[in-house]
Amino acid sequence: MRKWWLLSAAFVLWLISGYGIVQSRQRDASPAGSDGREPVRIVSMAPNVTEILFALGLGENVVAVTQDSDYPPAALEKSQVGTFWQPNMEAVVANQPDLVVTLAFEQQRDLARRLRRMGLRCLVVDIQSVGDLYDAIAAIGDAAGARVQAGALCDNIQSEIHKLQQATAGMPRVKVLWVVQREPLRVAGRDTFINEIIELASGENAIGRTLHKYPPIGAEQIIVSAPEVIIEPTMVQGQAERQQQAPAYWSRFGDLPALANERIYVIDGDMVSRLGPRLHIAVEAVAKCLRPELFGE
Amino acid sequence: MSSAGTIRRVRSVHRPLTPRMLLFRIVAAVVLLVLIMFLCSLVGPQDISLKAAMSRPANPAIANPSHQILVSVRIPRVLLAAMVGAALAASGVTFQALLRNPLADPYILGISSGAGLGAMLAIISGFSWTLWGRSPIAVFAFGGALGTVWLVWAIGRLTGKYHTTGLLLAGVVVNAFFSALILFLVSIAKSQELQATMFWLMGNMIEEDFLVLWVGGGCITAGIVALFFLSPQLNIISIGRQDARSIGVSVERTELAAFAVSAFITAIAVSMSGLIGFVGLIIPHAVRLVLGPDHRQLLPVSSLIGAVFLVVADTVARVIVAPAQLPVGVVTAMIGGPFFLILLIRYSRKVYWPT
Amino acid sequence: MTNAIQVEHIAFGYWPQSLVLEDISFTARAGTFLAVVGPNGVGKSTLIAILGGLLKPRSGTVLLDGRNLRSYSTRAIARKITVVRQEFIPAFGFSVMETVLMARTPHYGQLGFESQADRDLAAQALSLTDTTQFASRPLANLSAGERQRVFIARALAQDTPILLLDEPTSCLDFRHQVGIYDLLKSIQLEKHRTIVAVTHDINLAAQYCDEALLLYPPCGPSDAEGTASTGQLRCRIGDTSAILTPQEIERAFGTRVFSGVVGRERFLLPLGTRAKDAGLSGRTSG
Repeated sequence: MRKWWLLSAAFVLWLISGYGIVQSRQRDASPAGSDGREPVRIVSMAPNVTEILFALGLGENVVAVTQDSDYPPAALEKSQVGTFWQPNMEAVVANQPDLVVTLAFEQQRDLARRLRRMGLRCLVVDIQSVGDLYDAIAAIGDAAGARVQAGALCDNIQSEIHKLQQATAGMPRVKVLWVVQREPLRVAGRDTFINEIIELASGENAIGRTLHKYPPIGAEQIIVSAPEVIIEPTMVQGQAERQQQAPAYWSRFGDLPALANERIYVIDGDMVSRLGPRLHIAVEAVAKCLRPELFGE
Repeated sequence: MSSAGTIRRVRSVHRPLTPRMLLFRIVAAVVLLVLIMFLCSLVGPQDISLKAAMSRPANPAIANPSHQILVSVRIPRVLLAAMVGAALAASGVTFQALLRNPLADPYILGISSGAGLGAMLAIISGFSWTLWGRSPIAVFAFGGALGTVWLVWAIGRLTGKYHTTGLLLAGVVVNAFFSALILFLVSIAKSQELQATMFWLMGNMIEEDFLVLWVGGGCITAGIVALFFLSPQLNIISIGRQDARSIGVSVERTELAAFAVSAFITAIAVSMSGLIGFVGLIIPHAVRLVLGPDHRQLLPVSSLIGAVFLVVADTVARVIVAPAQLPVGVVTAMIGGPFFLILLIRYSRKVYWPT
Repeated sequence: MTNAIQVEHIAFGYWPQSLVLEDISFTARAGTFLAVVGPNGVGKSTLIAILGGLLKPRSGTVLLDGRNLRSYSTRAIARKITVVRQEFIPAFGFSVMETVLMARTPHYGQLGFESQADRDLAAQALSLTDTTQFASRPLANLSAGERQRVFIARALAQDTPILLLDEPTSCLDFRHQVGIYDLLKSIQLEKHRTIVAVTHDINLAAQYCDEALLLYPPCGPSDAEGTASTGQLRCRIGDTSAILTPQEIERAFGTRVFSGVVGRERFLLPLGTRAKDAGLSGRTSG
């Protein structure tokens, strides 16, 4: 009999604690930063977001970035809040931000949710394609009170790209194979922003439509695709070595046009795989690979 | 007829349990848990001091980051770790008793692959709606876990009512099949989704909303209490099923109840924190080694020790390579393994190991 | 004397096509010690399981104290009948005392603890089966015979009016065999318990049991598929002096024995063709 009293008491205690939690939530429900003031302390949770913030002239307001935010160099001096994949929530909170900008994949979206619950203001931007990039710049500009600068930045990027496109207007597209990984061999498919960069640079993906975004690919498909140019983005450290090994590696696929004409380019991976304000530079780098005669080495 | 066991002269084993012994041990474990939870909530990637956290800032409009970190980040995390640890340990004890198999763990009947599949489906389908602010992953993982257990149970029944071997085999088959499905989904996933899945599968304590903790904690506590009430029957069932009937235990009903409750609390734990291994397998053994196999004691004490263990493991995971973070599952294996070996060496002379 | 257990025309088979027990009927009267004997495979252990409510007969009824066994709940059965089967080593290291104490569970219900009375009963059971010195040992650290005595001690601790045992002395040495039978007999007489024991030891059965139930194998070639629905007699029950005779034993077991008179009862000794006294097989002395 005593058991049932104890259990009932525990149950009632549980209910009371629940009520208490609900009450305290309502009390703390005012989100900080809702007073409409421009955010002074901004935390960026991704390298491309960092670049956007700096490009918008908000470098002074950025108080913390992730470890992998390495551009511009000024970003390296900001305090760090974990990495892109593993954000350190405590560090974010310790920096007392007015605005936290995150990307939209699950972990970061979750982080944003939790920060919002604590009353911090968060902006989630989804940057998966070139169009998304312009939207993100606009959204960040809006939130950070830099609307004018955002518009200017977008216009700038677009005009640079437009210039490149005009220079190559009417030319036949160059078939490009974009190799993200050698072992096992993976390439960028048509459904990626890489593909958009390639097309902006007047190229065409040698691979047709695939189920995967970054499909692993077999020797047959490589031979059939007959790429005129092969681009391999790599970490800066491994670039030279990879360029050296390239002919030897690719010769195993027989006589590819890219191999025959020695059009295998190992370029800086960081810059082209980050969808950010340096997009036009990335497109230009790719265009140089595709049409060296036009854009010079 | 019987096994060719050799007679080993050993020292005395455990004394039979009395209510006073039980109460004392439970209280000691609770005190330990509270202490550890308190200490661990003061440890984290950021340095905060208790004084700073508790002091009232001069200007109430400015938030006190130490206070915020302590209350909104650390305490929920510690509470979650305690809950999940308790649920996994209690569930491990129960499965080992019901299956009469010291190698059983909470995931043996397909919960792990079912939850993983559910989580993956949620990630890949890209649902962005939330259930009361919880990510859909948790909900799908919970559904996947329970659905899989039900499936394994149904298949197990086909092989002859309540045959434990049939149940185990069904679990193995379903696990294999679902794991293959998961691998397939992994192969077509985008890299971000892949990372998110791996992250979830490796187990993580994420800082939860207090309301979620309240619901989850309430369910888990209720489940553990229910299992505690079943523990005398678990004692008898763990010796032998036929035997159990002749002592008057309604074996089918007890098994069904115990399975259902354990599966439920495991599903809740897994949906909140991903798959954390080791706790459900090793903690019951460790406690059994030291205190004996009487489930009236084993169940509550294992739950509490499981909670302590996971709180400590999670704190270590957060701090040891700060500012990065190890998955908790890695830490549980690395701490748990050697610790268990030590226990084994010290206490093995007291205990019988099935050959 | 009331009837403790009444068995009426039960039949049972493990597989749908075959029958192990067929048309078995007998009555075990309260307060008697009944031996169940018969050749291997004739269904003795199965019969014990059915009597204890662990298996359901395919047809026929078992009455416990006049009511159908099926109408009792598991707990109610456990308060009336204890079943002791083959010893085994459990998966977890419970000590002897803990194992014996578990038998008291039906008496204290959900999440209870044993009272001092329960503990005393358990201690007494241990001393009666000469296992007190093992009280703290895990079951695996005992020999088969010692374990068997522990299981019997557990049955004693469960303290029910009816005790069903399946070969309780198969692993025991001379001294302990006799000890257990003395114990069972004293329980029967002093506490008016009903005891049904399957045994291979016909001579001890003759000396200790009041009645014997002899199970006959089916006539003709025994195969897994065949059912022997020929209406033949499958069991006989009666006084030990009437049932445990050389003729009946030969008929049931298919082997000849050398028999003699001890005092009030007979002894029966099977002699094979290679035995030293093989020539005496089939004869009766004295």
